[in-house]
Order: sequence, then structure tokens, then C-alpha cells
Amino acid sequence: MSKLKQSVTKENVVQAILVADTFEDEFVPISNNLPLCLFPVVNKPLIDYTLEFLSLGGVEEVFLFCCNHVNEVKSYIRKCIDEAVGWTLTMKVQIIVSESCRSFGDCLRDLDAKGLIRGDFVLLEPGVISNINLLPLLKKHSEILQNDKGAAITLVFQESALGHRSLCPQDESLVAYNNKNRVLFHKKIQKSRDKKAVFPIFQEIFLENSSVSIQHNLRDTHIAICSSSVLPLFSDNFDFQTKDDFIKGLLINEEILGSTIYCHILKGSDYGSAINNWRMYQAISLELKNKWVYPIVPPTKRNRVIPEDSIYSLSSVMGLNSTMYRSVIGSNVTIGEGVKIQDAFIFDNVHIEDDVDISLSVIGPGCVIKKGAKITVGSILGQGVIIDENVFVENTLVQNRPSEDVLAQPEDKIGEFAYRLRACEDEEDLNVDRILAQKFSRLHIHDESYECEYDSENELSDSSEELSHTYSPPPDDTKLFFTEVIDSLTRGYEDKLPCDNLILEVNSSRYAYNVTLREVNYNVIKAILIISQKLPSGTQYFSVMTQMLCYFSPLLKNYIKNEAAMVDCLQAVEDVAISESDLKDKWIIFLLKYLYEKDFLNEESILKWFATLKEHTKLHTQVKPFASWLQEAEEEDSSEEDESE
Amino acid sequence: MTIPAEFQAVVLAAGKGSRMLEFTSGKPKCLLPIGSKPLIWYTLSKLQKSGFTEVIMIVLEHQKTEIQSAIDIEIEKNTLNIKIDYVSVLDDKDDLGTADSLRLKEIQEKLKSDVLILSCDLITDVDLSGVLNTFRKYNASVTTLFFHSQNLEHSVVPGPKSKFKPEKDLIGIDEQNNRLVFLASASDFEEQVPLATNLLKKHPNINIYSTLVDSHVYVLKNWVIQYLKSEDNFMSLKGELIPYIVKRQLSKVPKSTDTNVSVVNTKDSNDIFSFAVEDQLEVDIREASPYSYHKGNLGSTYSDDPIRCYSYIAPKGSIGVRINTLPAYWNINGKIHEIWERVSNQTEMINKSQTAEIKSNQIDDKCIIWDEAKLFEKTSFKNSIIGAKSTVNSFSRVFNSIVMNNVVIKEKVAIENSIISDNVVIESGSKIKNCIIGNHHQIPEESEHINEILTEALMHF
Repeated sequence: MSKLKQSVTKENVVQAILVADTFEDEFVPISNNLPLCLFPVVNKPLIDYTLEFLSLGGVEEVFLFCCNHVNEVKSYIRKCIDEAVGWTLTMKVQIIVSESCRSFGDCLRDLDAKGLIRGDFVLLEPGVISNINLLPLLKKHSEILQNDKGAAITLVFQESALGHRSLCPQDESLVAYNNKNRVLFHKKIQKSRDKKAVFPIFQEIFLENSSVSIQHNLRDTHIAICSSSVLPLFSDNFDFQTKDDFIKGLLINEEILGSTIYCHILKGSDYGSAINNWRMYQAISLELKNKWVYPIVPPTKRNRVIPEDSIYSLSSVMGLNSTMYRSVIGSNVTIGEGVKIQDAFIFDNVHIEDDVDISLSVIGPGCVIKKGAKITVGSILGQGVIIDENVFVENTLVQNRPSEDVLAQPEDKIGEFAYRLRACEDEEDLNVDRILAQKFSRLHIHDESYECEYDSENELSDSSEELSHTYSPPPDDTKLFFTEVIDSLTRGYEDKLPCDNLILEVNSSRYAYNVTLREVNYNVIKAILIISQKLPSGTQYFSVMTQMLCYFSPLLKNYIKNEAAMVDCLQAVEDVAISESDLKDKWIIFLLKYLYEKDFLNEESILKWFATLKEHTKLHTQVKPFASWLQEAEEEDSSEEDESE
Repeated sequence: MTIPAEFQAVVLAAGKGSRMLEFTSGKPKCLLPIGSKPLIWYTLSKLQKSGFTEVIMIVLEHQKTEIQSAIDIEIEKNTLNIKIDYVSVLDDKDDLGTADSLRLKEIQEKLKSDVLILSCDLITDVDLSGVLNTFRKYNASVTTLFFHSQNLEHSVVPGPKSKFKPEKDLIGIDEQNNRLVFLASASDFEEQVPLATNLLKKHPNINIYSTLVDSHVYVLKNWVIQYLKSEDNFMSLKGELIPYIVKRQLSKVPKSTDTNVSVVNTKDSNDIFSFAVEDQLEVDIREASPYSYHKGNLGSTYSDDPIRCYSYIAPKGSIGVRINTLPAYWNINGKIHEIWERVSNQTEMINKSQTAEIKSNQIDDKCIIWDEAKLFEKTSFKNSIIGAKSTVNSFSRVFNSIVMNNVVIKEKVAIENSIISDNVVIESGSKIKNCIIGNHHQIPEESEHINEILTEALMHF
């Protein structure tokens, strides 16, 4: 035994574990055909950057854990070794395959069982791109271990200004650590995108440490230095699915597990980040292009950098009068004339015909986009999609074959090789968090949205100035309330329960979650509208919807009592109309007309609301005819309107 | 016409020393002997060193003469050269808070510039320029001075044994720019400390300290004094006013304060923001400034906050103590020889007053004998302070003790490790060890006391 131990220490090889799969459907539909690690990032496969970073960082042995598309990854690695790519000279890459693993935690448990890891090691989550030297970090970690036997993991963070494109709001977290860099508190804020006015932190954290740093501007690099105890910890706690679970579990059960967490904060020219959603894909591509990750840089040989911050592969052809802005064009792409490409990523072998307009979108490999098509705002096209002439695609995921999902609807078909993919609704429970998360993970549309929220939040807590900790409903509860209302109403509608019972139910949930009256109004209306979305579509749709609204009318009557409630109701209509990408045509007009005719809404509030809508948006154009009809009616018959008020 | 001073200094000396009533009842706290000087001397000489020639001092009416004469003695001795403007307050109310005393009409009329406020009980070697410069640098509304807590423990504190538990503050400072963003007493919270989200958003990198000590040195913009006048609810600076301002600096400015004057006058005239109005020049300067407030943030300088609180943390290893508790008082006196040079601004330490009548020959170097003290033959002193006009008769010894003014110690008395307040008479043959004897107390002949507090003032405890 001791002999074995000696031989192990003698080797003292620096090891790293790289998990290649995300186990989430962030990158659907492109990830259906292409593993994340082979995604081109500024025309080089992602894994190339990661491996180059590891070898420059001092790692000698990498365990690459693969669950999907194993053969592609294997052959790519083999190709690299054959071509003697830089990193192959100093580093050994072992591919470990297990198709049964369903989470990050499973992979680590599997590795623990294999017993390949000997000492401290570097742990990478999928998609890491960085330029840091890992050896000093490993050394620091082992020094910490000498003072604190329970030190399990050193998380590596990078400072990043709030609202910066590379600080994904989804990853926004609050970290508190003491002057020895021991993490005392860690919470992901985005998980619920909650607007809590306060963050409670246990006071003992402050009293036990002379000073505690609280940072809100940290970006998780998804790199961690681990002690050998980490893998057994995953094995012992089978509920640890992700690294976040691991951190949370360790902090909560510090005494039971006897393990502690440390952190390291990158400063200066050190860079670390991970591509775990499209937003980060965009941000990191831009930073790679601008050489922020030096010496890790995109390939320069086969690429041409053109003005306006774009890069395109030399093997691609671009037609006359075509413009590009902040975009990356892969190899063998043909672009016709008069094409506009802005903030877009075009993968290999794409064919774009004349007068196409692409912005803030990702075009998967082998797509064909025919003349005059327009693809905008966070659309993702999977492999081999063909978009027909003059088709308009906005904020949708598109794949080249019909979805096998039961929920798939005939109108999801955009073209013969283009089908809309429903990413959120295939979940049984309609999870608001997920929708939000999805929304935020799409390509980044400048900073405006963030700033607005920041301001409104400010205002929120302003009004609650005096005693901010008594500030009422934590939005978490509001969301729970919302899901509960949806449940109640769906069940009520299916079983045709009397509406009075539903009102009782809603009110009792209201008190259980301590939700304000206005939020109740808003959420009930929103719930009804969301349910209306799930009705079977077809010619019968509107008559079924009328029936449904009729059924719910006692509820509507109960909650839309005054002007303020009407405002809330319209807000709900607006939010649903904007967030639901595939509304039936005329849905909104139909709804507004119904609510108006049944006297739930009056002209004045509708017109007021209409005035707040931004012009030239889809919603605005949809509502416009109705609003102008109302205006005319008002002019003709103003006396009656006074009465109805 | 004279140019107004940049800062006006106000020393708050009307405190009663409520945390150490055992020996401060009947004597102004600011005159407690520390080494060879009364406590207030240290603050005044610090101000003098920082360039102040005038200081406003708030004292209690009935203590005014006593304090004035004590300070005049120092001025005569030429160890102080500063003009003092006494403002006396009546002692009719139970407790006049520190904020209350600044609200006095007399004070309000005198304060025309920005104000430096000190308490009378500070002993430090930290230069005041640090906190003043922080105030200047950020054009701050409020600037505070903090010390790292330091261990000055010296020897057993007299009196009954008790566990001394210091009050802890939670102090949050933006690591990148010294902005003071959170200030609360640890006792304000039970289990959890709620941190406002807008605080975390605005200041993404905060350090929260639990071991810093507030020096009660505050630099305030003049508007804060004006604001105080209109706001009756604040009793103390430390407990209420400063935490309130620290909190309000994060809130958004109510709109149209400067454009529409009538709104200000009618609606929110008591709102803090109607006082904290920057003049156009300050706004222009701030807007033109390229100063990056947070690394990587291209937002406006100071995020356009008109109220800004900053803090200056004294460098580690410096001395900074407030003499407001018995242990603090005891420990500083025990250490005064070690730290004298650092806290006294290079004034010469006079161990034995010229006017003292010393016939004893058993006095060690660490003893400090005040003016007109009378020490008879065959007395013995070690490491003690003998106050002015005190008398120690033959065959008595005083070890490790503080004897204040006008004390009479008869023959064959043994005093060890004790504090003897003013006007105490100790009859012959008594043995006192680890005791605190209050003002005007009389110790009968042949009595023995160990670990006791002997005073009338403590009856109500």
C-alpha cells in the first residue's frame, strides 16, 4: 500500500476533469446534432479553446467526460492528436464515456467509482474558456488544505461589472467570504429573478469574522480547484446534481459534512468564463474576437477580420452590397447580394440568398435561407433548416423536422424543413422561472433592459424606505402563488367547479403567500390567459375560448372591480401577448373585444393602455384597429360612456 | 470681513460618562486624569495640531467653570494654544443626546461652515487630516473615522469582576471607494441581517466589518446641521442621525428638487434631499468628472447621489480609544507611558509637577504627580497617578492606582490597583485593593476592601 502511495506521489501529475455535456436544453435545436464542445466559437471548436487553456495552465492529464455524440468527440480528439495540435504535446486526454449519466453529479460519481483521480484536481464545467495559470491556484489550494483539513473546493470567480454583457443575469450571484477567502454565503440571485428588497444573511457570519466581503459582481468562471474529497462527497450525497447543489449542500451542512468552500477572485488580465447559454456564447465570442482572452485567441490563418467587428472564414463568399456588423461567419458560407447581418452567428455550410436580413440570431450548420427572409431577435435555427422566401422568423427556435412532441401543433410548420420548436411548453407544469431563464439566456439585446430593471427596483425599495425589511411580498411567493392559481383554475375549468369555490381557493392562496390585491388581480387574469393558450387550436378555437371566458366570468367580475384592476388586467394581457411567441392571430383583438363588451374593461382604460404601448411593435399593430374603432365609438357616443363609468 | 474657516470644530463635552458612573458622578468626564493630563486635553491638542485655532465646546452649565479652569491651567502652562468658545447647556433634561446638543440655537447660529465633531473622550495617534481629506476628496456629506479594535489590556480592572462585552457595530464599506454604505449596531438584529438589494446593486463589492470601532469623529456638511434643526426625532449622532443618512444616501432623489422650487417649499420641506442640494457648480464638476466610481462601470460619478457618506479607516497598528468605559479608562492609564509620545503630539511628559510637595523618596519612574500634591515622608509609590492637591500621609503606600484630585490619604493606608475619585478621604490603617471609590466617599479607620465599588452614586443600580 505504502509503495503504491509513493509511486503516486512520485508521479504527481496535474489532473483535470472536464465534463463535456450541459444536460440542459439550452442549445436546442443545434445541440441535437452537434455536441456543445464542438460548437464553433469564432470558427474554432469550443473544446480546442478549453484544452489549450488547460495545457497552458499546467494540466498534464485530462479526463474528458462524454455522454452524448461520443463518436464525434472521439474522432475530433483523434484528429487533433494526428495533426499534433499544440496541446497534444504536453497533455494526455482520456475520454470517458457513460451514456447513463443524467447530470453533472452523475458524471462525478461515475468518476469516483473509477478511481482515476489521485489528489487535488481541476474541475471544469462545460464550455470553459480561460487563460489563467492553474498551477498557482493549485498551490494556493494545497496551502489552504494545510490550515483547514476540510477545504473541499476553491471556486474561481472573476470580477465583472454588473450589467456587463459577460455577466449573464442568470449567473448573478451573491457571495460572502471572509478575509481568508472562505466562502460563508453563496446564493444565485437569478434563479428566481426575484426582486426581493432585502437579502437576509445570518448575523453570526459577520460577528464571527472581523470582516466579510460581500460581492455581487462576480462571474462564475465554472473552474474549480478540488480536493480529493470532492468526488466522495458527490458519491455520498446522491442528491447533488450540479455544482450549485454541491455548494449549497456544503454550506448548509457545514458541520455534518465537515467541508468548507474557498474562493479565488481573478484580477487583471486573467480571464475565465464559460459558454453555458447563447448569451454567454455571444459575449465570449465578442471577447475572443477582441483578444480579451490572450494568449487564447481565435484562429487567424483562415479568418479574415473585416470592419465593423466581424470575422468571416476565407472559404466563405459574400455578395455585393452585403453588410455585416458584429457577426461571425463560418466556413463555406455563401452570402448573396444585399444581405444584412447584424449580431449574428452563421455556422458552417450555410447558404444565404439575396436580400436576407439576419439579426441577433444563430444560424446552424447547413441551413438555407431563401431570398428576402428575415430572421430576428433571438432566433436559433437548427441544422439543415430551410427558410422559404420572404418568411419572417422572430424569437423562435427552428428545427428541420417536426417535433415528436405530443403538443406539437400543425401551425408550427414554417416550411418543409422548418418547424417551430416549443421549448418551454413541453414541460408539464408551466414553470415561470424557466421561461424567464430562457428569455434571459437568449442573445443579448444591448443593455437597456437591465438598466430599466435596475431603476424600477430602486424605486421599489425607495417607497419602502423606512423599514425595508418589512417590505412585503417576496416575489418568490408571488410566483408560487401564480402557479397555484393556474393549478386551481385549470382543475376548476376541467371539472367545471362553481367559480365561487375557485374564488375562495384563490383568496386562501393569496393569504398563504401574502400577495397584494393588485398582484392577485394581475396573476388571476394572467392565469386565465395562459390557460386560454392551451386550448386546442383550430377553427373552433375562439368559440371554445368564449366558453371558457364565460365560465370564468364570475371570477373576472370579482377581480376586475375598479380602474386600478383594469390597469392590472391590461398589463397581464400585454405581458402574455409579448411573452407568448405564437399567439393565434386576432387573439388579442378577440380578447379585448370580449372584455370590453362584457363591461370588464371600459374604453378609457383601454385607450390609456394603448397609448403606453410602443409604436411599431407587433402588439401595437395588432391592437391598433380595435383602439381606433373604440375612439370612433367614443366620439360618436360619449354620453353613454360617461354612464358606464 | 474674514474668510470663513473651511471647518469648524465642535467638541462634545457635555456627556456624563454614563458607562462609568462609578467614578464620573460629580466630576466632568472630560477631566478624568489620563497620565499627567485631563482627558479633554488630548482632544484639544489633537485639534491644535491639525491646525484649528478655535473650537466650540459644548459643556454642562454647572461644570463649565470647573472645565474652564482646568483647561486654563493647561493654557497657562503653554501646553495648549487654542481659543475655546464655551457653549453651556442646562442639565435640566434627563439626557441630552449628542444630536440634541447640536440643535441648540446658540450652536446653530455659530456653525456656518462644514463641521468637524469630536467627542471629548478620544485618545488617538491618528492624524485628523486623514478623515478631513477623505471628506474633501469625495466632496462628502458625512465622513467618519474608524479604528481597528485594539487590545490594550493591561492589568486586572478594579471593582467586582464582571465580563465586559463591547458593543459591536456592523459597518459596511464599499471596497473600491471607501464609501460607507451600511451602519448598524449588531444588537439591532436578531438572527439575520437584511441587506437591501439596491445596496448590493449599487455597491457590488462591500466589506462588512464587525470589529471596527467608531471614533465618534464626524465631518459633516453644513446642511446636515440645518437638517438636524428641522428634524426633532434624532437624539444621538451615532445611534440615529448617521445611520439614517447612511441609509438615505442610497435612495433616489425625489424629482424636481431644484427645478421647481415651490414644490420643495410646500411639500417635502423636511425631506433630507431638500437640504442636500448641490449647487450648480458642484453638479457641473461632478458631471464633468471622468472619475470611475466602480471598476468597469461607466455609470455616472457617485451614481449621481447628492448625499454621500464616506469613511476613513485608521491604518492598522495605530492607537485609537474612546475613554467611555471603566476598562478603557483603566487600560489607557496603565499604558500611558508606552503610548505617550504617540498620542501627545510631542509634548514633553512631566512626571512630577513643579508645584507638588514631594518628601517621599520611594517613587518609581512610572508615577505621575500632579500640581500641588503633597506626599509626606516615608510613603511609597509605584506606577500610580496622584491627582492635584491630594495628600498622602506618612507610612502609606499607593501601588498601581489612580488617585484623583483633593484626595486625603491618612497614615498607614495601603492602596493597590484601585481608582480613588475626587475628594475622597481614607482614614488611617485602611487597606484597599482592586476597588473603585466614588466621589466624596469617606473610608473609616482600619477598614479593608477588596474588589468593591464604594460610592453613593451607585445606590440606584
